[in-house]
Amino acid sequence: MILLTGLVWIFISADRTNSATAGRIPAPQKGFLAPEFKLETSDSQSISLTDYRGKAVLVNLWATWCPPCRTEMPIIEKVYQGYQDQGLIVLGVNSTNQDDPTAVTPFVKQYGITFPILLDVNGEAASLYELRSLPTSFFIGRDGIIKEVVVGSMSEALLRANIEEIIK
Amino acid sequence: MNILSLFQNVFAPPRDLILIILAAWVGLTLSEKRAPLHRVNLDSLSNLLLVSMIGFVVSGRVLYALENLSIFAQSPASIFSLNTDLFDQWSGLAIAVVTAFAYGRRAHLPLWPSLDTLTPLFATLAIGIAFSHLASGLAFGKETNVPWAIDQWGALRHPTQIYEIIASILTLVLILIQKPIAKPGFEFLLFVALTSASRLVIEGFRGDSTLILGGFRAAQIAAWLILFAALASIDYQKRLGHEKE
Repeated sequence: MILLTGLVWIFISADRTNSATAGRIPAPQKGFLAPEFKLETSDSQSISLTDYRGKAVLVNLWATWCPPCRTEMPIIEKVYQGYQDQGLIVLGVNSTNQDDPTAVTPFVKQYGITFPILLDVNGEAASLYELRSLPTSFFIGRDGIIKEVVVGSMSEALLRANIEEIIK
Repeated sequence: MNILSLFQNVFAPPRDLILIILAAWVGLTLSEKRAPLHRVNLDSLSNLLLVSMIGFVVSGRVLYALENLSIFAQSPASIFSLNTDLFDQWSGLAIAVVTAFAYGRRAHLPLWPSLDTLTPLFATLAIGIAFSHLASGLAFGKETNVPWAIDQWGALRHPTQIYEIIASILTLVLILIQKPIAKPGFEFLLFVALTSASRLVIEGFRGDSTLILGGFRAAQIAAWLILFAALASIDYQKRLGHEKE
């Protein structure tokens, strides 16, 4: 009886229209569409995530005072140099609303960062991406879907493994 | 800020692992208390857990590295990284089970009483995992308009993580109220049956199911097969007991 009821439930709860799967709505979770944002760099250049639709994108949220961010930033830069030719885009989103804005440019120079650094002055991106810990990285595929979310500092191998997945 | 948001902020990943570690500690304490009732040597059982845990950690990392050999060749030091994401958990679990089985045979630990002794640990771990799902937002539900829906990942959804917590707590309670003199293996099989039955039900409300042909949920089919095997084993035990009587 239990097994028969189980079979009936499997049949009833089947998702024939694939409506249960994520991806159609934007949310900061694996399998969902990456939420759109538009931010400015320190030289007032406006950059939107939609500008990079069709490309593999790594969105890294960070702050200058955060030690794990300091650890992983040189690794991200090194790996970015290796994958840039394969179309990888890295957007470093500084959580400026919880950081010292004057510390960002010296930080970028100190670590020799060449990818765009966006200033999240009002915490718009932090709110959209439900930021709870720094650093947090979102690996976004060419279809705009988040393929992986990594909270905390990443090792080089983890960074490469996730980039390999999104540049396919 | 409501209680759910507060909980999710406090135990946001990677802090959600604390919940699993806490559950493991409680579960081990419960299992240790029940070991004499099942006449299982506690020292041997503790060693078995330690050996299988080492097997899990080492093989999970090594197998992940082997699967991503070209990446690790570029940064070999990453093999010692503290990143828990650099881990093949299913392969690690498979090796841990094999290691535990081999050690158990070597230490002459009886299979079914040992599994019965460890059942409170498994049941408590299931509660810890359910709480970690609630904290991280994983294992989320499908969209719904039910009054108890929660706002998660851009929509009102079934609180499947809360269903999971309730089901796993009920499973633990049902395990703990069993008389330990029941037939060897019964507590473990009961745990397997209850866990697979609850997964079978809750999976139907999930919004992240892996779908197979016809929109059927893969996890539900796997849960049904495990439930079938567990119920058949319990029935077989019962018949065996009647024959002996």
